[in-house]
Amino acid sequence: MNSEVVNIQAQPKSRFNHIKRTVYKERQLWLLSIPMIIWVFIFSYLPMYGIIIAFMKYIPGRNMFKSQWVGFQHFQTFFHSPDFWHILRNTLAISGLGIVFGFTAPIILALLLNELRLKVFKRVVQTISYLPHFISWVVVASILFAILGNEGFMNDMLMRLGIIDKPIAFLGEGKYFWGLLTATNVWKDVGWSTIIYLSAIAGVDSELYDAGKVDGLGRFGMVWHIILPSIRPTIAVLFILGIGGILNAGFEQQLLIGNSQTREYHEVIDTYAYKYGIQLGNYSYATAIGLLKSVISLVLVLGANRISKKALDTSIL
Amino acid sequence: MSSSSIGIKPTLGSRIFDVCNVVFMLAFMVVMLYPFVNLLAISLNDGVDAARGGIYLFPREFSLESYAFLMKNPKLFDGFVISILRVVVGTVTCVFMTGLLAYIVTIRNFSGRKFMRVLFLITMYFGGGLIPTYLLMVQLGLTNTFNVYWIPGLIQAYYMMLMASYMQGLPEALFESARIDGASELKIYIRVVIPISMPVFAAIAVFSSVGHWNSWFDVILYNSSGTWDTLQTYLRKLLLEVEALQQIQDAQAAYSKYRNISSSTLRAAVTMVVTLPIVVVYPFMQKYFVGGMTLGAVKG
Repeated sequence: MNSEVVNIQAQPKSRFNHIKRTVYKERQLWLLSIPMIIWVFIFSYLPMYGIIIAFMKYIPGRNMFKSQWVGFQHFQTFFHSPDFWHILRNTLAISGLGIVFGFTAPIILALLLNELRLKVFKRVVQTISYLPHFISWVVVASILFAILGNEGFMNDMLMRLGIIDKPIAFLGEGKYFWGLLTATNVWKDVGWSTIIYLSAIAGVDSELYDAGKVDGLGRFGMVWHIILPSIRPTIAVLFILGIGGILNAGFEQQLLIGNSQTREYHEVIDTYAYKYGIQLGNYSYATAIGLLKSVISLVLVLGANRISKKALDTSIL
Repeated sequence: MSSSSIGIKPTLGSRIFDVCNVVFMLAFMVVMLYPFVNLLAISLNDGVDAARGGIYLFPREFSLESYAFLMKNPKLFDGFVISILRVVVGTVTCVFMTGLLAYIVTIRNFSGRKFMRVLFLITMYFGGGLIPTYLLMVQLGLTNTFNVYWIPGLIQAYYMMLMASYMQGLPEALFESARIDGASELKIYIRVVIPISMPVFAAIAVFSSVGHWNSWFDVILYNSSGTWDTLQTYLRKLLLEVEALQQIQDAQAAYSKYRNISSSTLRAAVTMVVTLPIVVVYPFMQKYFVGGMTLGAVKG
């Protein structure tokens, strides 16, 4: 009742003073926005400005503005460094494997979970599948050392089954690193990543299922013609994000699981920049590498967004 | 809503699929859980005996020596408290601010909507990177303080996007009527948006708290002094010490002091100490991020 009265009174007012009222409303919103703008300026845009040291010979502790300009020298150094190709290879291999397995596995798992008839069982599986996500990389590294070590479960089993004669140094040899890291990443996050898909599946209108039933769709048909199209925006958004992050091949994982024997296979752009920047104090060089990575990522995500917009009519920007 | 639960008559193929699915899920659970079970068994085993290997499900020679060794360490408790503090402060501030931003960018007739959205989305794909950010933290005096754990992570563009996409599904009329009743935007956010968006807020809170709990690198990067060492960094240091211990195990002093502890049992015990709080807490959190994740509540 009350709101109806308000509505009647508000109507002519909105016609005459529409602009004025909008400004009044937006004054509040801008007041809330300003602290956020300041925050994002300091913590996100100031570091972007700090990128200019990539074109300088910045010496820590000295005034940034008095540093010597060196143009693209650091980039050239990186391209010509003997590490460049294997760093690029490792980065693309690890995140490529991550997209092939880490991106598709949760979708499949979510669809399979959705088909479980016993809801209690489904909940139990879900609960257990999330567990590894809550575990830090420090602990995961510790688990890997224990399971894959010389006396660990894996070697012990393989030896008992007679598949191998002596323990395999899974963590001590570079050639296992990509597979190991991909498997570990999937193990850690497959369950967790299903949440977003399951919630999207849960949001599918039940009338669609009824309509599908009328059209005589079976279980597979329901998945293919109703569930998948319904969760397509979610998949598209996550895929765009995945493409944008293709140069993010992991960081803590490499630092915690990798060791000097696996360096040729675990060193990625981020760990390389960390090593040169923080550990060796070569701030300008490391910043240049970081900048290169950001620029490529931005181009990739814009491209993916464009394709998604055209092909799937879904955009994130 | 599952397609199987709306009463399609199960065919033979459908039945076979169900059986395979259940078998797959059982195997899947074993893969997810076994590493923890294995480590628990090792952690509860006698150290010298564990070095022989071959412990699968149960400890062979039961011993609490490794845990006793850990509990004697007061730094473990400090790390635990700092970790909890970080999770609580970091999560509450991040969810509140990110949610507020998500609300602002979902208001359809707000002229700054697109600007704010883009301003933050840019940060998702383009940042200063590790080094400029690190140098900024040094210049702001945030290094070696507790504040470095929550202030730089106050707003997450990715969470904003998830929250905004949820809020876009909410009926505009709800906010409009509150506005006509004279409620301020902040009040609408707190009184209307947060309660009806609880599923997504809870989910983001879980995301955020997990991130804070698991954080390791920013601690070693920004807290090089070790004053604000969290549980993770403390445990990592201990793991490295264990490695060192293994190397000097032959030395008389180390051998007599940690006679029944081997590197493998201590490592397993450490892993359990940091995992157990999560295992205890997270079934309670689960109902927020899974149970409530339907849009049905809003439609009603």
